[in-house]
Amino acid sequence: MADEQAPRPPAPPAAPSGPSGHSGPPSGGHSGPPSGGHSGPPGRFGPGGPRPQGGPGGPGGRPGGPAKRGKRSFVRKKKVCRFCVDKSDYIDYKRAEILAPFLQERGKILPRRMTGTCSRHQRWLTVAIKRAQNIALLPFAAEL
Amino acid sequence: MEERLYELIFICRPDTPEADVDKVIATLEHTVTEKGAKIEKTEKWGRKRMAYRVQRLREGFYVFMVLRSSHGEVVKELERRLKVADPVMKYITVRVDEELKRQDKLKRHREKRAARRPRKTVPSAFPPAGPAPAPAAAGGSEPASAAS
Repeated sequence: MADEQAPRPPAPPAAPSGPSGHSGPPSGGHSGPPSGGHSGPPGRFGPGGPRPQGGPGGPGGRPGGPAKRGKRSFVRKKKVCRFCVDKSDYIDYKRAEILAPFLQERGKILPRRMTGTCSRHQRWLTVAIKRAQNIALLPFAAEL
Repeated sequence: MEERLYELIFICRPDTPEADVDKVIATLEHTVTEKGAKIEKTEKWGRKRMAYRVQRLREGFYVFMVLRSSHGEVVKELERRLKVADPVMKYITVRVDEELKRQDKLKRHREKRAARRPRKTVPSAFPPAGPAPAPAAAGGSEPASAAS
């Protein structure tokens, strides 16, 4: 963290790079953004000082979930709609195993912003999930 | 009126003997043919764990049917019968023809576009499911007699 205090020359040229650059361990680089170890005046580089590029999570991370959603991630990983990738024109309510990843632990349907599903497929997906719930293929809510 | 395609799933109590399940299926088939519709397929998915408890039971015997009909009274009658039938715990009827039509349309559209441009074939993880994907999870799935 010491080098962050050094007066920085003009921003490094590679700053706005995409997520492809740095796919190392996701949490090692930016371990303590709001920690107190940073003695200098905050605010010169924005809150938390300059962060290494790469953003949270390497490639391939699925919906993410609340744990990975850093407060200040500068580079956001672009999520892709799974159903578009597979070019599916119909989401079958009978196949609970493909619908299950789009539910929270408690049985809520995950929002689009978590899963990256496109709006059209999300619409189909909700219908499919609701049908599956009605015949006990998927839970309405987790049982206690 | 054009023909409509329905999918019907019902769940029997897990302790019903198979013969009783067959009896329910037979009565359904009877009503369907009586009303001038036809059953395209009957599948017994077998005992499956349900996602939540129904009538305090955790398991159920799933039966899946596809039927084609040109009028909706068949469904009404079938649901009435399912409601009355003792071993049946739960049932659902879903009209699927419109979604299948949409699927067809999108597929054609995609093929047309693909024909125009150089195509790259990507093996799909889950192919567009037709009216009847095989229920992979079910143990005792056997295509039973499909009456017409």
